[in-house]
Amino acid sequence: MPPPPRKTLSLSVLNILLALADGAKHGYAIKQDVEERSEGTIRLGPGTLYEAIQRLEDDGLIAEASPDEPAANGQEAQRRFYRLTERGWTVLRRELKQLSDVVDRARANPRLRKGLA
Amino acid sequence: MMRLYRLLLRVYPATFTRRYGAELEVAFSGARREPRHSGAIGMLRFWAHILIDLVTTAARLRVARARAAYANVPRLPSQPKRTEMDTALQDVRHALRSFARRPGFTAVALLSLALGIGANSLIYGLVDGFVLRPFPYPDPDRLVAIGVTFPKLSSEVGYVEVLSPAEYGDIRSAKSLARTAAFDLGNRNISGGDVPERVFTALLLDDLFPVIGMQPVLGRGFTREELAPNGPAVGIISHRLWQTRFGADPNIINRAIRIGGQSATIVGVMPPGLLVIGTDLWLPWGADTALIPRSRRQFSILARLAPGVTLAQANAELAAIAGRVEQNEKAAIPDYEGWRLTATPWAAALLRDLRPAAFLLLGAVALVLLIACANLANLMLARSTSRGRELAVRLALGAARWRLVRHLLTETVLLALAGGALGVLIAYLGLRGAGALIPSQFQLLDLQAGVNGRVLVWSFALALAAGVLVGVLPAMQAARTDPHESLKSDGRGGAGRAGSRSRAVLVVAEIALSVVLLLGAGLLMRSFLNVQSVDAGFEPRGVLTMRLTLPRERYPGEAANAFFDRLVERIGAVGGVRAVAAASQYPPMAAFDIQVTTERQTAQPQGMIPTALITVATPSIFEALRVPMRSGRTFGAADRLDAPPVVIVNQTFVQRYLQGTEPLGQRVMLGEPKPGGAWATIVGVVADFRNSGSMRPIRPEVYMPMRQQTQWNQLFLLVRGDGSPAGMLPAVREAVRSLDPEQPVYGIQSLEEAIAQSSFQQRIAALLLSIFATVALVMAGVGVFGVMSYSVSARTQEIGVRLAVGAQRRDVVWQVVGHVLRLAGVGLAIGVALLFAGRQAIAGLLFGVEAADGMTIALVTAVLGLVSLFAAWVPAARASRIDPIQALRYE
Repeated sequence: MPPPPRKTLSLSVLNILLALADGAKHGYAIKQDVEERSEGTIRLGPGTLYEAIQRLEDDGLIAEASPDEPAANGQEAQRRFYRLTERGWTVLRRELKQLSDVVDRARANPRLRKGLA
Repeated sequence: MMRLYRLLLRVYPATFTRRYGAELEVAFSGARREPRHSGAIGMLRFWAHILIDLVTTAARLRVARARAAYANVPRLPSQPKRTEMDTALQDVRHALRSFARRPGFTAVALLSLALGIGANSLIYGLVDGFVLRPFPYPDPDRLVAIGVTFPKLSSEVGYVEVLSPAEYGDIRSAKSLARTAAFDLGNRNISGGDVPERVFTALLLDDLFPVIGMQPVLGRGFTREELAPNGPAVGIISHRLWQTRFGADPNIINRAIRIGGQSATIVGVMPPGLLVIGTDLWLPWGADTALIPRSRRQFSILARLAPGVTLAQANAELAAIAGRVEQNEKAAIPDYEGWRLTATPWAAALLRDLRPAAFLLLGAVALVLLIACANLANLMLARSTSRGRELAVRLALGAARWRLVRHLLTETVLLALAGGALGVLIAYLGLRGAGALIPSQFQLLDLQAGVNGRVLVWSFALALAAGVLVGVLPAMQAARTDPHESLKSDGRGGAGRAGSRSRAVLVVAEIALSVVLLLGAGLLMRSFLNVQSVDAGFEPRGVLTMRLTLPRERYPGEAANAFFDRLVERIGAVGGVRAVAAASQYPPMAAFDIQVTTERQTAQPQGMIPTALITVATPSIFEALRVPMRSGRTFGAADRLDAPPVVIVNQTFVQRYLQGTEPLGQRVMLGEPKPGGAWATIVGVVADFRNSGSMRPIRPEVYMPMRQQTQWNQLFLLVRGDGSPAGMLPAVREAVRSLDPEQPVYGIQSLEEAIAQSSFQQRIAALLLSIFATVALVMAGVGVFGVMSYSVSARTQEIGVRLAVGAQRRDVVWQVVGHVLRLAGVGLAIGVALLFAGRQAIAGLLFGVEAADGMTIALVTAVLGLVSLFAAWVPAARASRIDPIQALRYE
C-alpha cells in the first residue's frame, strides 16, 4: 500500500471524511450531511460525490461497510455504505491537526481574530 | 427523467459507471426531491446543477484515466505505438483544451447547436407523439382503417362513421385482412354514484381488441355470445374511466352499472392508453344488423393486415370487392357508382388533418439547424484560417493530414454532441409545457408527447450529422493547407482566399434557407389573416355552446323535443340572455349532410347527386347566430310533427338547386328519393354563412325544425347573452338541473373558442414558423456580419493602398455594401426558387394565397435587404475609417 498522500485534502473531501467520522453512511446520506454541516455552502452533485468516493476508496481512506443499523427496507439494503479505514482516521486526524495549527496561527494575528471567533 | 440521466451517465468512463452507476441514480433522485428543486425554476436549477456536475466530473475522470494510461507508456526516444483509442482520446483532450482557450466561441457554438438540435428534438417529439406513433397499439403499421369515397356524393375520403353493416360484411370477406372489427360511435350516460356523466362509447359489431392486439388488464374480453345480436348486456371500460369514475376499484369486474338507463355488467378493463378514437366504453352493438339498409352508414372499420400482405395488395383486393358490389347494387343504390374502398394505416387516417402542419414544421426546423450549422462552419473557417499557421507548423513537423482532419472533426462532433445533450434537455422541458398548446379535440384522444427512445436516437443522429456538417469544410480546408505557402505568407495566402470563397458560399446558403423560412412564415401568416378576415356571416362573440345527450330509454320519441323546448324556454328567461337555440350542429364544424331531391330536378355537373348540409334546430337558431333571413319565415310553434313538413334553405341552395327561381313554396325531399316519400315545403331562405369553417366553401344547406323529427336526442345548445359566455354557465346548468338532475352537460366552450380551435393548424404553424424564421434571419445576419468583418480586416492593406492612391471613402463603403447586397441577392433568388420547388409541402395549409405570392416576396426582400444592410454597416464603417498610413505600415 502506498504511503498516505501528503498533499492537503480538498474541502469537500475533508467534509466527506468528517461525515463518515460519525459512523458508516451511504453516499446520499454523506451528501446530505455535508450540505447540512456547511449550511448549504458546499453542494455535492452525484458525480462530484462519487468521484471523491472513488478516489478515497482507491487511496484506502474509506472502505465499504455494513450499516450500523439494519436496513429499513429492501432498497436501503442494496445501497453501499462506507466507513473510515484506519488509514482514513490517520489522515483525517493529521489533516485536522494541520488545519487547527493554521487556524491557531491565524488567531495570533489581531487583524484576523475577529472573523475567527 | 431517470432514463435521461441514465443515458447521460454514459459520458463517464465505463469503469466508473459500473462501480457507482446505481449509487449515482440514488443520489440523483434524492437531489430531485429536495425542496429547493421543486417548481419550474427549481427544475431548471436542478438540471443546471446536475449537468455542471456531470460535465466537470466526467472531464476530470476521463483526463485522470488518460493520464494514468500514459503513465505506463515508456517515454523512450522511439515513438511509442499509439492505439486507436489513445489517438481518439488525444483528439478529445486537444479539443477540450481548445474549447477552454476560447470560451466565448465555445459558448456561442454550444448554444446555437443546443437550440438548433433542441428545437428539432422538440418538434420531432411532437410529431412522433401526435402523428407518427400516436397510439400504443402493437405493430401499429399493420393496423388499418378502411376508408370510403362515394364520388357521386363527395370527393372526400371518409374513415369514421362511413360504412353500413352490409358493406362491412363485404369487406370482412377480404383475405388480405386477418381480423376486422366495425364500431359505431355514440355517447352513453353512466349514472348512479354522485354525478351523472356522459361517456364517449363505441358499439361493436365484432370484437375490437383482438384486432388491436391488446388484452384487458382486468377481467376478460367479450365472448362470441355477448357480441351476438340480443346478447347479454355487458361492457368493457378504459383504464382512464376506471380510474376517474370508479376510483380504480379492483372489484369492478362483474359489477352492474347503469348505462343509458339500463343495467349492464362490466366484464373488463383495458390497459392504460388504449382508447379507440377517444372512446372510454365499449359495448356490443346488440341489435340484428340484417335489417339495416345498405345506405345507413354509421360504422367505422378497423382491420389488421394478414401476415405477409402489403398495403397495396390489401387495397387491390378492396378495389375488387368495391367493383363487385358496384355491379350488384348500382341499379338500386346509385351512390355505389365509382365508389372506392381504401386501407390506410390507422394513425395516418385518423390524424391526417395534423400531417401537413407536422411535416412542414419538421422540415422548417431542420432548416433552422442547417442555418445554425452553416453559421458555425463559418466561425470555424474563420478560426481555422487564423489557425492556419498552427496547422502548417504541425504539417511541417510531419503530422499526417488525416490526423488534422480527424482532429478538427473531433472538435465539431464533440461540440455537437454536447449541444445535442443540452438540446434533449430543452426538448424535454419544452414537451412538458407543450400540453397547453394542444387543442381539446386532441386531448380527447389522450395523446402524449415526450422524450422517448426514438426522440433520443433522432437527436443523437442530428447531433452527429451537425457535427460532421460543421466540421467538414474547415477540415477540408485544413487538408489543403500548404505548409510552405502558409508559413511563408502570413495567413493571407491561398488558404485564406479559398476560405473566404467557402465562407461566401455558406452565407449565401444561410440567406437562401432563411428566405425559404421567411417566405413560408409570411405565406402562413397571410393565410391565417385571410382565414381571420373571411366574413363568416354570423356573429361568434357572446355565444356559449354545450352539448346534451338525452338517454333514449327515458326520453323516447317526442319526449326529447319536449325537454329541449322547455330547456330553451327556461334559459331564455334568464336575465342577460338574448337568444337560445338547440341545434344538431353549429359553425365552424357543421358536417352532416344528406341527399336532397327537388321537384324540378336539375342536372348536376358530372352527374353528382345533390347533397346539402342538414341541421335540425329550434326556431331561434338564426337569432342565436345573428344570421339574417333573406325571405320567408323561420320555424314557428305550428311546425309540429303532425303538421306538413317545412324546411329553410340557404341562398347557395337556391342558386345551385333551384336555379335562382322563387324558392318559397317549392318542395324538397330529404334522403334517398322514394315514391311516396315526404315532401317538405321551403318556408324561408336564410343568408349564407360559413357553417363548416372559414376555409371551406359555402355549401347548400337545409334546416329542419326539431319538432318535426324524433331521431335526434343529442343536440347542442347555443346561448347568446350580453355578458361573457362563461358568465352564463351557472344559470344554464341550473336550468338543466331543474329539469333533470341526472342530465350531464358537456363540450362546454364559447363559439369563439370553437372557431379558434378550427384554425389551430394555421395558427400554430404560422406562430412556430415565424419564430423559426426570426431565428434564421438573426443567424443569417450574424453570418453576413462575420463574413464582411473578416473580409474587411483581411483586406485592410488593399483598402489602404486604394485609399492612398486616391480612392474615395464612399467607394470603399460601397464596395462592402455592394458585396453584401450581391450575396443577399443570390441568396434571395435561390431561396425563392427553393420555396417554389417545395411549394407542395405548404400548399395544403395556404388559404387565399398562392405559394408564389408577389407581396410576400416583396416583403421578404425588404426585410432581408434591411437586415443585410444592418449587418454590413459596422464592417463598411470600419473599412471607411482605415488609415492608409497605418494600414501600409505593416507591409
